[in-house]
Amino acid sequence: MAGFVLHYDDKKRAVQLLITLGVVVWIAVDAATGGSAYWTRVLVRLPLLLTGSATGWPVTGGFVLNILLSIASMALATALGTIMGLGTLARVGLIRVPNLLLVNFLRNSPWLVLLFATLYFLPFEMRIFGTIVPFPPFVKAVIGLALPTAANFSEVIRGAVQSVHSGQWEAARSLGYNTFQIYRHVIMQQAMRRMIPGWMNLYAPLMIATALATVTGIQDVLTILNTLLAMENERVIVYFYLTILFLFIPYCYPIAAIARRLERAVKGDSL
Amino acid sequence: MSRIEALIELDNVRKSFGDFEVLKGISMFVQKGEAVCIIGPSGSGKSTILRCINGLFPIDEGFIRVGTHRVHELKSDKAMRSLRHQVAMVFQQYNLFPHRTALQNIMMAPIQVLGHDRAEVEERARKLLKKVRLSEKADSYPGQLSGGQQQRVAIARALAMQPEVILFDEVTAALDPETVKDVLFAIRELVEEGLTCILVTHEMKFAREVSQRVCFTDHGLIVESAPPAELFDNPQDPRTREFLGQVL
Repeated sequence: MAGFVLHYDDKKRAVQLLITLGVVVWIAVDAATGGSAYWTRVLVRLPLLLTGSATGWPVTGGFVLNILLSIASMALATALGTIMGLGTLARVGLIRVPNLLLVNFLRNSPWLVLLFATLYFLPFEMRIFGTIVPFPPFVKAVIGLALPTAANFSEVIRGAVQSVHSGQWEAARSLGYNTFQIYRHVIMQQAMRRMIPGWMNLYAPLMIATALATVTGIQDVLTILNTLLAMENERVIVYFYLTILFLFIPYCYPIAAIARRLERAVKGDSL
Repeated sequence: MSRIEALIELDNVRKSFGDFEVLKGISMFVQKGEAVCIIGPSGSGKSTILRCINGLFPIDEGFIRVGTHRVHELKSDKAMRSLRHQVAMVFQQYNLFPHRTALQNIMMAPIQVLGHDRAEVEERARKLLKKVRLSEKADSYPGQLSGGQQQRVAIARALAMQPEVILFDEVTAALDPETVKDVLFAIRELVEEGLTCILVTHEMKFAREVSQRVCFTDHGLIVESAPPAELFDNPQDPRTREFLGQVL
């Protein structure tokens, strides 16, 4: 047909479709040749994996807990990362240098090690201003995952702020703004747009890393799976792990895709 | 010309970036209402002089006074504020705030920095937009305006601070030839109204027509300073002659 040309995006979509079809066909063939019995076992356990209770209600853990954990961690990481990011931008060396050290330390530590560290360094409760604040495993997991994410987010902030053209600083200064006012009225408003894709890009790895939180003993999807597998035969384990993978992918992929689209949209605004 | 009467006074100003000495002892005076052009080859320190006058660059040595402000002694943003109110600046790259409309760009600083009344500032801003003949672009964002229009908004933004002095830093260097004349027209009006202006420029014809005095800088020094007719038609220093021979 005249004018019919396959563009890069079309080709990409075609390959993605082929892979998806391949997986579906493979699963169907496997199910038809005896796998369906195993899938039935998985299906029976699915409510337990998703919510932590066999009937699906009330929610006590499972994949929903992973989602809650990721959201709580992201919220904490955003707050901490903003403080650290502005700290690394400070002109005063006494603020900037410790922040840079902390950020680089956290960014270059394995997430699992940080999780273990928070698990063992944090007490199970703490006295703050006379009130006892408990640190249950969930809270420790939130903190442990938030630390590296915050450090990475602080770099996103630093990058976005530094990407604002230096002429903006000069213009604002020449109009009499002080440093705080320049951040508030001029720089941050422009940097915010450029931060959002980076912020979303951090969420996907954080969500994926919530599976590590199983080491804190919270009833997340992996802890439940491990308990469950003790009662299942070896052959069915593969099907359970596949199922868990398929839980994470449809949750994380759209977020990454939206982030990429936003990235492209933001690229155009220069100066 | 007496030092005391001058509105702006620079005495033996030195400034280095790392090992490179940009200003090697600049001394000049600008009277109130005077328009002074600074010309010279690129890298001779023209823009740096402007940035030292309004305190954007701290100087290493020397003395700068603007009105009652001893600029070289001002250290903090807070101390600089009243100087910045008195001295406005227009940049080569316009440096408008891209997330705000033309009108908002003009209104921001008077409201947020000077604390002026919003209604009064809006009236002032609209008048200034009219003055630079851009009334119909009040609600456009900088990205929707041409270079010449952005530069005229930038001039209006500087004027909104009600300054006594405006520094123009090669304001037409990034513009298309056909929009240059709109910007120069706006500047000429300001000079004729008696606003004190220091212009770094490559527009020799404009410098000759508009200014009362032209300073030629080379390698961080003011080589020659004279009324335009004198400097352009009868340059004394061989370096001035060489430069003018290249650009005219």
